[in-house]
Amino acid sequence: MGSPQQVAPQLKQGRSGQDAAASEMTGFQPFTHLLQTRYPRGSDWLNFGHVPIGYAGEGKGYIRTGSIFLAQTQDRLISLKRINSRLNVIGIPSEIISPKKVAELHPLLNVHDLVGAMHVPEDAVVSSADVALALASAASQNGVQIYDRTSVLHVMVKKGQVTGVETDKGQIECQYFVNCAGQWAYELGLSNEEPVSIPLHACEHFYLLTRPLETPLQSNTPTVVDADGRIYIRNWQGGILSGGFEKNPKPIFTEGKNQLEIQNLQEDWDHFEPLLSSLLRRMPELETLEIMKLVNCPETFTPDMRCIMGESPAVQGYYVLVGMNSAGLSFAGGAGRYLAEWMVHGYPSESIWELDLKRFGALQSSRTFLRHRVMEVMPLLYDLKVPRWDFQTGRQLRTSPLYDRLDAQGARWMEKHGFERPKYFVPPDKDLLALEQSKTFYKPDWFDIVESEVKCCKEAVCVIDMSSFTKFEITSTGDQALEILQYLFSNDLDVPVGHIVHTGMLNEGGGYENDCSIARLSKRSFFMISPTDQQVHCWAWLKKHMPEDSNLLLEDVTWKYTALNLIGPRAVDVLSELSYAPMTPDHFPSLFCKEMSVGYANGIRVMSMTHTGEPGFMLYIPIEYALHVYNEVMSVGQKYGIRNAGYYALRSLRIEKFFAFWGQDLNTLTTPLECGRESRVKLDKGMDFIGRDALLQQKQNGVYKRLTMFILDDHDTDLDLWPWWGEPIYRNGQYAGKTTSSAYSYTLERHVCLGFVHNFSEDTGEEQVVTADFINRGEYEIDIAGHRFQAKAKLYPVTSLFTHKRRKDDVELSDLHGK
Amino acid sequence: MSISALLSMGRCCCRCCCPRGLWMLSAPCCDDRRMCVCPGPRRIGIPVRSASLPLFSDAMPAPTQLFFPLIRNCELSRIYGTACYCHHKHLCCSSPYVPQSRLRYAPHPAYATFCRPKESWWQYNTQGRRYASTPQRFYLTPPQVNSILKANEYSFKVPEFDGKNVSSVLGFDSNQLPANAPIEDRRSAATCLQTRGMLLGVFDGHAGCACSQAVSERLFYYIAVSLLPHETLLEIENAVESGRALLPILQWHKHPNDYFSKEASKLYFNSLRTYWQELIDLNTGESTDIDVKEALINAFKRLDNDISLEAQVGDPNSFLNYLVLRVAFSGATACVAHVDGVDLHVANTGDSRAMLGVQEEDGSWSAVTLSNDHNAQNERELERLKLEHPKNEAKSVVKQDRLLGLLMPFRAFGDVKFKWSIDLQKRVIESGPDQLNDNEYTKFIPPNYYTPPYLTAEPEVTYHRLRPQDKFLVLATDGLWETMHRQDVVRIVGEYLTGMHHQQPIAVGGYKVTLGQMHGLLTERRAKMSSVFEDQNAATHLIRHAVGNNEFGAVDHERLSKMLSLPEELARMYRDDITIIVVQFNSHVVGAYQNQE
Repeated sequence: MGSPQQVAPQLKQGRSGQDAAASEMTGFQPFTHLLQTRYPRGSDWLNFGHVPIGYAGEGKGYIRTGSIFLAQTQDRLISLKRINSRLNVIGIPSEIISPKKVAELHPLLNVHDLVGAMHVPEDAVVSSADVALALASAASQNGVQIYDRTSVLHVMVKKGQVTGVETDKGQIECQYFVNCAGQWAYELGLSNEEPVSIPLHACEHFYLLTRPLETPLQSNTPTVVDADGRIYIRNWQGGILSGGFEKNPKPIFTEGKNQLEIQNLQEDWDHFEPLLSSLLRRMPELETLEIMKLVNCPETFTPDMRCIMGESPAVQGYYVLVGMNSAGLSFAGGAGRYLAEWMVHGYPSESIWELDLKRFGALQSSRTFLRHRVMEVMPLLYDLKVPRWDFQTGRQLRTSPLYDRLDAQGARWMEKHGFERPKYFVPPDKDLLALEQSKTFYKPDWFDIVESEVKCCKEAVCVIDMSSFTKFEITSTGDQALEILQYLFSNDLDVPVGHIVHTGMLNEGGGYENDCSIARLSKRSFFMISPTDQQVHCWAWLKKHMPEDSNLLLEDVTWKYTALNLIGPRAVDVLSELSYAPMTPDHFPSLFCKEMSVGYANGIRVMSMTHTGEPGFMLYIPIEYALHVYNEVMSVGQKYGIRNAGYYALRSLRIEKFFAFWGQDLNTLTTPLECGRESRVKLDKGMDFIGRDALLQQKQNGVYKRLTMFILDDHDTDLDLWPWWGEPIYRNGQYAGKTTSSAYSYTLERHVCLGFVHNFSEDTGEEQVVTADFINRGEYEIDIAGHRFQAKAKLYPVTSLFTHKRRKDDVELSDLHGK
Repeated sequence: MSISALLSMGRCCCRCCCPRGLWMLSAPCCDDRRMCVCPGPRRIGIPVRSASLPLFSDAMPAPTQLFFPLIRNCELSRIYGTACYCHHKHLCCSSPYVPQSRLRYAPHPAYATFCRPKESWWQYNTQGRRYASTPQRFYLTPPQVNSILKANEYSFKVPEFDGKNVSSVLGFDSNQLPANAPIEDRRSAATCLQTRGMLLGVFDGHAGCACSQAVSERLFYYIAVSLLPHETLLEIENAVESGRALLPILQWHKHPNDYFSKEASKLYFNSLRTYWQELIDLNTGESTDIDVKEALINAFKRLDNDISLEAQVGDPNSFLNYLVLRVAFSGATACVAHVDGVDLHVANTGDSRAMLGVQEEDGSWSAVTLSNDHNAQNERELERLKLEHPKNEAKSVVKQDRLLGLLMPFRAFGDVKFKWSIDLQKRVIESGPDQLNDNEYTKFIPPNYYTPPYLTAEPEVTYHRLRPQDKFLVLATDGLWETMHRQDVVRIVGEYLTGMHHQQPIAVGGYKVTLGQMHGLLTERRAKMSSVFEDQNAATHLIRHAVGNNEFGAVDHERLSKMLSLPEELARMYRDDITIIVVQFNSHVVGAYQNQE
């Protein structure tokens, strides 16, 4: 251990020394930052301190200390309350306590500036060295050979399959290779002939060790996390161990340093000064405590603060488990288990798309990008995590050709898979809050803006740039394209040319690997639209299942088309005026695709769907026509009240109509039957598609969870905390599941949450079949940061939303105004 | 800005009103504002009768325009009016100790409105007090201060080739802070392309900025040409003759605000070409080593000569004609450094100064002056002037520490009033454009003007061989040196430059340090760093100290804010234009040169 580039040639072997050492120090504080974010959903198992018991056993440096998470601000307390309600439903005891109670739990803490805290009594600390040793000896007993002080040069690959590892001491043949090289994983990934891009970057991380106090701290003194002060504090051999995540991290590896120099990084007291001030403010009595040393050890961070695991999309048998964002030890047990399942069964037993290596593409592997992004990610660990957070660094990488036009019209941007997407458009006369001030758990400042955009979508017409969606074309010389698609997708794709089919790409278990729309362009070619972040994953899935030397041609055409979504009842008018073609439902029924001219531009792919359930069209425009078509649409649309809209409006429209979205509501463990999409599955289409058996069985046995829409009843939009995702759902007072997404419906004037309802047996806690009746006969509550709101459950969208006909006497003068 | 605010600022450049740096509203010397005299920062004091003769100011803000709004605003402004008066560009005056006697012209009627008789002065004064009791608070925020200070800053790093920096110059920081509107200081920096070396210079204009502007554009070309070997000159001349592309001579390093005159470019080129043609003719082939010192002297003298000639010859284009006259009738000092390897030459004309920052072995800083000021404080200059003129002029040639009682620097470019014969001056003015003819200043012949020229542009050249301990060179106009001692200047720049690079990291090692002690130490270090890191530019840092230093030598934001928010008309009373170039040397390269020998 300890030599650079040391990697486990076999499963289950250790990590680099520094990484392990650091995680000892920070191992106790993972769930603050992870639970709060949107990302690690489904990875809750990773979060809890019990993991080390599993393999290291009690007594291996495992000490139950409990931990206290301090809140200096009301916002921080809200976020702790949110965590608290989620911990409770998964059986981890925790409670929100008053500052007075904090002082009782920890004698040294200054509690005057606190508004509250969360206490997790069963939290624990372990020693990473002990854990690693225990693991190594356990592995050796089971016949695993460990090569110490051995550097991996590169991984040998034949025909896209791992065959062995080239080390400085010779070759080792193997079928599987796990890249656990920590901060060196990036270089090791690139050292391959077929490079595996693993986006992570290391930063210096500092923690302080002191000599023991005069009356040494008890070994069970609770660990303290003061996120507002950016520090953590724990007992260490009767003294204090304290470190933190500063605002101005120092990325390493960048100024031409070689890897060996990393071993002895310098202490930097000036850099540590803010954290030291914070520590002394929290524990003023430590002034007289003597310093032992300031340790500087690197930690790796990923572009989205979630760890990276899974199989490489390019090389079979090449697995990755890195980028623990300084929570390595607490995640290690669970992460190892799921990776093992992945390797043995081909998939883990939980959906961990959020952690899958394939969520990244090569586009996130630029050193400059990583360096900038990790400088934002590291402080983010202790920043307040509020809904709708967008990264500020590494932006404007992929943009639509309309970017500048939209930006000039007030667009505010969010980023997905490197692609800039408009959130909403700020009118010229409106000022929004600055970034820091805009952080809130309550009603956001853009509420009115999105409202007017939604209203315009409902009453007139809006245009949304949706170019980020992943677009593939599959063509073949014969019927191979249809055949392979019929095999991979659950819906029947043998439809007349010009039809669009919503369908899922399922795995063996019937779960969604991808949820997409496929248009049949001709008998032998198909156009496939998937969510933005599917670019790598979907490609890998298709490639994996396509026969090798067939005449199938799969092409990623994402970059070739700009996509404009015309939403609203007047979209028909705009488009027919621009194309001189009748666009009424008789001529252009819903879910149809036609190539036509728009303005001067020919060959625009027009599809009658909007991803929202509203009437309207998607225009897939070859990029060189994008500006022209946009200008034409905007100028012709003028008299129909056209305006730009963004993703927040789209999201509100989609969720109020119960449109689930892959990656948020749907994942690899949800089947179409569990979210009311029986109609998109054709079990008897004459092809034994992937997942058919599982679905057949499920159809027979019934489902164990059901995606349900909840409409919050007694929720005051102005005054109450807004739902986000991950809020516990209570049915008749019993925990029944968690929400997956939420939005405010401007039409219903209520919040709408989507979430899965389970039927846990009251006696055994076992999951039971969920029927429509079960859903309908329950009284529901949604718990937002400890406060329960009544909710109406719906299995199908509210029908009134689909009728847009306005009664004659409802028309008023203001309808004549431009929107 | 209230009077009390002005009072509290303590330091005042306008020595007429405050010979000891005190602002005295009722000082006797101010009784007659016509005679108000400003021997301090103004280089030229001449009596004037018209208040609106901005001949030498390029932007030409008529003083009346400046004053009227003030008068309309409140009585207080009148007090300003009187105050502004004594420092206005062209209205400047003689010394406080010689009241009235030199006023030859009756005041212009418009002017008289500002020059109320003594009785009414007291009236203003009482009102001034009234206003002083309700001071208006108007402070600039630190970011505003920074944006003012940084508006003109410029940094240049000598690019490294192959990872090795072969130049003895690491780079330079420059900046300027105007007090005049428009600023009369200029700066230039350029790398010689056909010979080795780098040229840097500061130019302090007086009676307008026309001359300093022209010198800043032209002088380096004259120097570069003087340094060129014969073959290169021939090559360039041939290229001009045959219409081929010319060899570039200088690579300029300019701030966007540093402009070059487009209109005069052709004229300037022709003069330069004549110069090199003469050099070619003079030196027919035998390749002698070019002496930098001689080249610098020749270039200075030649340029001044050309400025003078161009004004005498005139130009058919009326704009250019007026321009060359303005250049010739205004003046400029110059302090130019030429760095080539370890050879540092400083050519100085006037009272700007070049100061070398030397780091002693114990890490402390000392200043080595590389130029002599050419003014009344310099005995050798006084001696020279007396020798150059008949004995009977010994008393009149320097009066009140000024050349002929008027001009502070004893050497300068332009200023043909002190160089041409009376005949020539009259002839040129009469044949010149009307603007010139109407101008009181140009028409005015200095008193006791018997044996011109009284003024020369010939520089004094100092040679210094760089040593590894020579860390940087500060070139600055007198605006800096008036406010700061040279030792302070070098210390501040030295600490700034080293602070940027080598603040020693703290290591606990085996010592017993408590958290509290460490915390105290770190907070102290941070406070020190934050004031340094505010500036990325050594020249800016120096200006911040020059303008904002309080009596304890620390930058006082309140003071800085007051000084920078002075109205244009007042600014000149409290400080002069400041222009600074800080050249940093590469000790490794300098050391390597040393080791070679």
